[in-house]
Amino acid sequence: MVELHRVSYRAGGATILSDVSVRFRPGRFNVLLGPNGAGKSTLLRIATGLAQPASGEVRYADRSLRSFDAQELARSRAVLTQHVEMAFPLPVADVVMMGRYPHFGRVPSSTDREIARQALTTVGMAEKSDQPYPTLSGGEQQKVQLARVLAQIWKTDGEGTSTSSHRYLFLDEPTTNLDVHYQLHVLNIVSRLIDAETTIVAILHDLNTAFQFGDHFLLLHQGRVAFEGDSAADLPIDVLERVFDVRARPITDPSTGESYWRFGLT
Amino acid sequence: MTRRGYAGTYLALALLLIAALVASAGIGAFSFAPARMVRFLLEGAGWLPPNEAETLGRSVFLQLRLPRVLVGALTGAVLGVSGTLMQGLFRNPIVEPGLAGTSAGAALGAALVFVLGSGSALAFTRPLGSFAVPALAFAGAFGATLIVYRVSSSFGKVNVFTLLLAGIAVNAVCGAGTGFLSYIARDPQARNIIFWNLGTFTTADWRGVAFIGVTFVVCFLGALRYQKALNALMLGEDAAALLGFEPSRVILRLLVLNTLMVAVATAMVGVIAFVGLVVPHILRMLRSSDYAFLVPASALLGAAMMEIVDVVARVIVAPAELPIGIITAVVGAPIFLWILLRDQRQGNARFYG
Repeated sequence: MVELHRVSYRAGGATILSDVSVRFRPGRFNVLLGPNGAGKSTLLRIATGLAQPASGEVRYADRSLRSFDAQELARSRAVLTQHVEMAFPLPVADVVMMGRYPHFGRVPSSTDREIARQALTTVGMAEKSDQPYPTLSGGEQQKVQLARVLAQIWKTDGEGTSTSSHRYLFLDEPTTNLDVHYQLHVLNIVSRLIDAETTIVAILHDLNTAFQFGDHFLLLHQGRVAFEGDSAADLPIDVLERVFDVRARPITDPSTGESYWRFGLT
Repeated sequence: MTRRGYAGTYLALALLLIAALVASAGIGAFSFAPARMVRFLLEGAGWLPPNEAETLGRSVFLQLRLPRVLVGALTGAVLGVSGTLMQGLFRNPIVEPGLAGTSAGAALGAALVFVLGSGSALAFTRPLGSFAVPALAFAGAFGATLIVYRVSSSFGKVNVFTLLLAGIAVNAVCGAGTGFLSYIARDPQARNIIFWNLGTFTTADWRGVAFIGVTFVVCFLGALRYQKALNALMLGEDAAALLGFEPSRVILRLLVLNTLMVAVATAMVGVIAFVGLVVPHILRMLRSSDYAFLVPASALLGAAMMEIVDVVARVIVAPAELPIGIITAVVGAPIFLWILLRDQRQGNARFYG
């Protein structure tokens, strides 16, 4: 579990987050929602340890984030960001192997190699292992980054249920710039990772995608929590409309009974 | 990190370096056959009794040729590794010490000592003795590089367009400073600065070998510890931090190591541009951009390339010789332009914007 306790953050005189307390539990797909500038990315940076809150505390499985050293944290916490560009033609396998950097010294072990290989297979890119990263399409590059992130927090069979078996995966708009096929592909792979020891938190911009994959929602607005709940159905339409400054209308698919949102400007 | 047979490439580069060293040591106003060089070496080490008939040849070889060859090889290794490190730090394939102000800063620092070292303005450098030139070269190089890095990086990203412009500005200021010093210098000093601004191995001696050799070994061994971090930095500073590295610390340390060896080499032999650009580029095309490979390989190729250039410098206008920097610029600048053009065609131009 990742817990933010009374977290505030200010930058350049502006309050970005004010007194936010929130729990992200393992075993489900936590989604962070909110309009541009609501503080989602800042919250994620604080939750991952990239930024320090002005006040408040972050705890991973009841242990303060401050008490981790960078490398120790990197073995259990990984972040998939938006599209990563690389100026150098590194082979795909080498990019994925970077995920294992927190786990080995100078030379990767056979376990590290095996995990990197499996991670690449998981995202369906095994046959591109030797290709230079910059020659891949944007969607393929993002799958390679996902493989790198998976390799970073990969669980090996030998691990018991000690505290070290907890994993934390954060996704910061992982599907921005991806076409619908890659969006679904990436989020499906992430969904399959959900288990009792893995905490997943994602910032997703597309609300319908968010409601399709998420099963716990946190809606941020102007640095505060505007809604928190397990079901999109519980989210009042007026809150949604006010926070995003749009008109929202639910549409139900008669064959499945699932609801989708249709948005328009106010 | 995945070692797909880098050993073969290392071996090929090592053989190239040995061949270049032997050629460079043998060719010149005095030419030496390999067997004669070996004999001189053994005599010099005291393992063979000196042959009285060869006193002149031996002293030319041991006191002039050999230090020159070693200074050249070490300088090439320094510049090759430096180019690799700077490209890693700035996350861009077109950076090298000549472009980012490092060499010009070092040149200014060293010129200060050359011209004003005996005056009262730089009296504080006197206790440093022969370390004064490398020390001020380091101060100048570090200051210049730090300015360029700070100006061109914001929010963990390096803007290469800004980097190049900042490099131009810093190079211009340092160049003006060095120019001013050679203007106010008395004649022999001025001549020294001009030669040395073009890069030259003619003044190489065993003291230079020791200075460059020690700093190179120390900085190279230090840099080897950051291979993983350099690779991770390719993903950006945040991604490197998320992999357990501390980017600001890594960058500062590598900047210090890099500047130190470039400054000492520049203080000894002057400004030699484009080697740091071309060497890593060839290696990236040849094998891989993996820094675990690039750092050692650029030392080998840098040294070999510098020896080849030095031979050319000595034979092309024999019995006179050309300053090294002229040749590296004439060969390196077109390669630099070619890299720019090619990347623009391939759509990699976004890395320069």
